[in-house]
Amino acid sequence: MKTALLWDPGVLEYRFRPDHPFNPKRLELTVSLIEAMGLLDGTDHCMVPLRPATHEELVRVHAPEYVAAVRRLGAAGRDTGEGWRWGLGTDDTPVFPGMHDVTSLVVGGTIRAAELVMSGEVTRALNLAGGLHHGHRDRASGFCVYDDLAAAIAWIRAAHGARVMYIDYDAHHGDGVQGIFYGDPDVLTLSIHESGRFLFPGTGFVDELGEGEGYGYSLNLPLDPSTEDDSWIELHRDLIPAAAEAFRPDVIVLQNGCDGHTLDPLTHLRATTRLYEETVRTVCEVADRLCGGRVVATGGGGYAVWQVVPRAWTLVWAGLSGQEAGNDVPRAWLDRWQGESPVLLPERLRDLPGEFPAVPRRAEVEAVNRRTLESLRRQALPLLSGWGMGF
Amino acid sequence: MTRGPVTVTPDDTLAHALRLTREHRIRHLPVVDGGGRLVGILSDRDIRLAMPSPLTTHDAERVDFLGRTPIAAVMIREVVTASGHDPVEDAAKLLYRHRIGSLPVVDAAGRLEGILTETDLLHAFVQVLGGTQPSSRLEVALPDRPGELARVVGILAAHNVNIVGVLVSPVRVRDEKTVIVHVGTIDPRVAVEALEAAGFVVGWPSLEEDVRALLGR
Repeated sequence: MKTALLWDPGVLEYRFRPDHPFNPKRLELTVSLIEAMGLLDGTDHCMVPLRPATHEELVRVHAPEYVAAVRRLGAAGRDTGEGWRWGLGTDDTPVFPGMHDVTSLVVGGTIRAAELVMSGEVTRALNLAGGLHHGHRDRASGFCVYDDLAAAIAWIRAAHGARVMYIDYDAHHGDGVQGIFYGDPDVLTLSIHESGRFLFPGTGFVDELGEGEGYGYSLNLPLDPSTEDDSWIELHRDLIPAAAEAFRPDVIVLQNGCDGHTLDPLTHLRATTRLYEETVRTVCEVADRLCGGRVVATGGGGYAVWQVVPRAWTLVWAGLSGQEAGNDVPRAWLDRWQGESPVLLPERLRDLPGEFPAVPRRAEVEAVNRRTLESLRRQALPLLSGWGMGF
Repeated sequence: MTRGPVTVTPDDTLAHALRLTREHRIRHLPVVDGGGRLVGILSDRDIRLAMPSPLTTHDAERVDFLGRTPIAAVMIREVVTASGHDPVEDAAKLLYRHRIGSLPVVDAAGRLEGILTETDLLHAFVQVLGGTQPSSRLEVALPDRPGELARVVGILAAHNVNIVGVLVSPVRVRDEKTVIVHVGTIDPRVAVEALEAAGFVVGWPSLEEDVRALLGR
């Protein structure tokens, strides 16, 4: 099986402010860890450069006026006063110089990943800089300027007419992608995330099922804020294969936000690295069984930049490329980065079982989550099976 | 409200009214005269109450009854109405106080303009509660005295946090109320810390003790 890791240091310019939580350093750390672990050796696994998205590719999912505004603001390099109309110039998503060009590169990277997978050159591809799932049709939001995932899905639809299943493990609801394909029955969006009761963007409840023709093709599993690995894994093992079998995708697009980890400062979920190994394994099994193994994967959220992201995404890459990763973080990698890191870097790739204290109300959390899944199954799966199977 | 709702006239039959409620999946039919003035209202419950019991009559007789009874014989003539200029909370109070499911909306001359139902109010409520823009949700406990909400808003403004929606919930604890603020940011950490530093109690899951210990805060 051939796999591709999309990489270009140019994406390190997707950077809002020096102290901004969305820190591109995590990409550099991850790629260097993947290399240090020997997970890019051999002829089956290659590194592929990104290319910028074309205007046509952007306006498939974004309003032309919005793209024009991002160009203008990026050229000005600061908010000239119109930013608020487009969700830009906020503390979350400030205007920065060259904003249009670097975000186009991120978007083009995910489309390039899709091209490689759909042409059969590789079976799976990963664009770590991608995963900007809060990008809306005419509005930036939550650190996301353009929506690379939606653009790649739209490219797959336009170039191949394939049915796309989108799976989003980010701790935040994938509202941008869901919104753009809310009425489309050929794109199934499925987001598992911390409940919007407190967490941004405040959406992603079970009753958001799509609209019109797309009713039943938008699935959301909101988790209790204190959800740990066991409950999360149990639910996704139950839901992902069932939803995929009902929908019968031609390709899976996978967002691997790792901000549901216990140590992530922006969310309240309590996952460990085990979750990210497990989710990728399940998704790849489903893809192997139903759609020729095809997975187009991206990064996403992840704000424990030093302690979590490099390890979680190295495990994601290992899973996608069908390699067994060792458990020791190489000494050379630790030596290279420890001096710069404000925290002690973990020496094991995987968190230990029991490394973090158990949630006191675990039984209650698990029961709440099971009830949510039951509610989703009851409401959504009948629609999906009925329509997906052509009844 | 729904503008231009489905209506009937006093001379239409109950059979006609019943058919309309089923076809349009509605429960209330405003009754208007030739000039479009509201003269009554008919609910699906009024129709059912008027029908002969299936235990004592044959189906044919019941169909016959519905087909020859005019709406004028059954409709409610004393209708509770609203004006298009009434605030939505007044309309909600009317529905609640009179224990009714809908309010026809009439103009100054008594002509029907629309109808407001429980469902419309629930929809408005959901919009107010949830907001329609991406946001994080904070619950802040406030002392029940003037100026406290202003302090909360001032702190959020000082941290450049946009407020998407605010809802003050009824007093649960004596001398205290809860304000639910939807803030337009993915990262409310600094704002939460500032509110806490100012003495407010903020409901946000990371405030659980064991999470704080983990994050070393």
